[in-house]
Amino acid sequence: MRPGVQRVMKTRSISRENLAALVADLVKGGTDVVAPARASDGKVDYRRVAKFDEITMNGGMPRRSLKEFFLPPTEALFSWKQKQADITLEPVPTTFGPAVVLGARPCDTAGVVVLDKVMGWDFRDELWFGRREATTIVSLACSGVDDSCFCRVVGLSPETEKGADLVLYPADGGFLAQPVTEKGEALISAHSARFVDAPAGDPGKATAGKEKKATAAAAAPATPGGAKSETVLPAGAKAGTAIPAGATAAPASVGTGGIGGPVDLGSVHDWLADHFEHPLWEAIAFRCHGCGACASVCPTCHCFDIVDEPEGVTEGTRRRNWDTCQEGRFTLHASGHNPRAQQNARFRQRVMHKFYIYPEKFGETLCTGCGRCVRDCPGGMDLPEIVAKIAALATKDSVRS
Amino acid sequence: MQELRDLARKLLSDGAVGVVIGYEEGPHGVRPAFITDGADADKLIFDRRCVQNLATYLAPRRNHLGKLGKKALVVKGCDARAVAGLIRETQIKREDVVIIGVRCGGVLRSDLAIGNGGSGNGEGGIGGGGAGRPAAGAVATGAAAVALTPETVADRCAECDIREPHLADHLVGELPPAPPVSKRREELIAKIEAMTPGERWDFWQQELERCVLCHACREVCPMCFCERCVADKTVPQWLESSPTGRANFAWHLTRALHQAGRCCDCGECERACPADIPLGLLNRKLAQVVEERYEFRATDDPEIPAPVGSYKLNDTQEFIL
Repeated sequence: MRPGVQRVMKTRSISRENLAALVADLVKGGTDVVAPARASDGKVDYRRVAKFDEITMNGGMPRRSLKEFFLPPTEALFSWKQKQADITLEPVPTTFGPAVVLGARPCDTAGVVVLDKVMGWDFRDELWFGRREATTIVSLACSGVDDSCFCRVVGLSPETEKGADLVLYPADGGFLAQPVTEKGEALISAHSARFVDAPAGDPGKATAGKEKKATAAAAAPATPGGAKSETVLPAGAKAGTAIPAGATAAPASVGTGGIGGPVDLGSVHDWLADHFEHPLWEAIAFRCHGCGACASVCPTCHCFDIVDEPEGVTEGTRRRNWDTCQEGRFTLHASGHNPRAQQNARFRQRVMHKFYIYPEKFGETLCTGCGRCVRDCPGGMDLPEIVAKIAALATKDSVRS
Repeated sequence: MQELRDLARKLLSDGAVGVVIGYEEGPHGVRPAFITDGADADKLIFDRRCVQNLATYLAPRRNHLGKLGKKALVVKGCDARAVAGLIRETQIKREDVVIIGVRCGGVLRSDLAIGNGGSGNGEGGIGGGGAGRPAAGAVATGAAAVALTPETVADRCAECDIREPHLADHLVGELPPAPPVSKRREELIAKIEAMTPGERWDFWQQELERCVLCHACREVCPMCFCERCVADKTVPQWLESSPTGRANFAWHLTRALHQAGRCCDCGECERACPADIPLGLLNRKLAQVVEERYEFRATDDPEIPAPVGSYKLNDTQEFIL
């Protein structure tokens, strides 16, 4: 899917003025530019922008993740018209105009590539991949938002390049630009006047002390069981990301979710495999309201419901809408039986899907540690705390055996 | 605080209740606590960051809480109005719950108290909760909590007339001074009322277009206790489930109207909304209309009938065509 991903790509730099000019060039050329920007109520959302001045680079966690630009909250699949016995179906376009996402959070770009797996699995989701192919993702190395961030807990980092085609790192007067994929390189080539080669690395200034090279290991397709291999990284490891010389890495305390650092996701996975029934689940979700706010802001929750919305009697549209396993209706059978009749079973499903089922099937953890579920939960459910608790239970079990 | 903890410990050790639902210090701010063992009673706290309305955990549809046994609930005055509402509307019986009333001197805006509701970003705009979640480390803990000022106090505290819940079985704490008064919400309502219908339409369209119909506003609401919400019905389908402008309007109008004369103004819907839609403005406006027309305001006396469930010969009728 990402040919040439292992290639070593040259770091460039771009001034703020040139980045602003690049946005203007893109918009003028008919490319949609999506970036974190203020909404009408003053909060930050990812949205289409007309010029660079609207963008808030590293200015706050966008309210929702990037996923809605690939899987919108509601999306038409086809529409129908009926004239007596004749029914005609009108398909929706599955090709999209070019788009560039600029200044995305690394946890959000990682979410998109994690979801490529399920979207291209037994059925290739044409709408998802139509948008994916039309879009070049430029992320911005992150300085952290607050102590709800927990990317390091799930094996990522504020500098992860997973899911990005091009990563920007804040630097004097502008940004270092590190292409990760051919798409990222192509964006630079198409606008080469806006970029210059980055000055030769000064090893003394390279905070991470790494060679000037992007390994892109994090973007490489994970093999089954890959979740386990992530866990051998030592605390503070950059999950395959080499930071260009001159760029500054976020402090090790950023992205630890209040639990201090990475957990052993492999042992979490293994514990979950054997503990579908465990007293932990009985008490896990007392405070959970089952509201599903977590899923609506999550970069990796991707369940949808398919509905037919009629317009009058003879026509209508089949749509898919975001759905969430946290609502009781999600598993309600037509018979009235509900296999997940209580909130603790629903919350178990959330944890299982993210840390056992998805890793088992696709070799990826279905969580990038953005922390939105922690910030937005009206009940105070805390995913890093829960994952740490499971990791501790797993350690206890392994000591005993 | 000690009084609260000792009471909780006693209720649990006497077997009077199976769980005390109160507040504790969570990893990222104050959160609901479910204390089932007297030994954990010292986890309980109460201060101006305790914004959550725990009465929502009493609704019968919270079936996973049933196994904990009889509940004792820590309530502020505003929360007591919800408990009264549940009793008034026959969802629970008075004797089903032990009510621990806390004397309250006002609470913070939820974004300053625990961060959520602010989605971690941005300066406030017209409808939003305000400044959004403060930067890392700025959400204060314990005694370091932000002081109550007209800018930091929760909107609803301005209308508070129940700083000592009358409905309580036990009242704890000293009565703190009355909170400062925020005029923010009344000013916003006045501003919206001054708009032309077109401007008002545009304002709400802009706010509601962010809705993804997650229904978090409904799930956290103590008064949204229906086993089956009208929004979930499919045969016939009353409300579209696709989050389009049209469906979002239909949902929010339905939700607000179903709250008229019932809403306890605890602010949970607005706090839970991941899209930061200022639902409190709708609730408050309807409460004003109900008070004006029916001389009823949400109260923690379950014996006072609500307009929606009672009939008076002198009820205002001029709006009936």
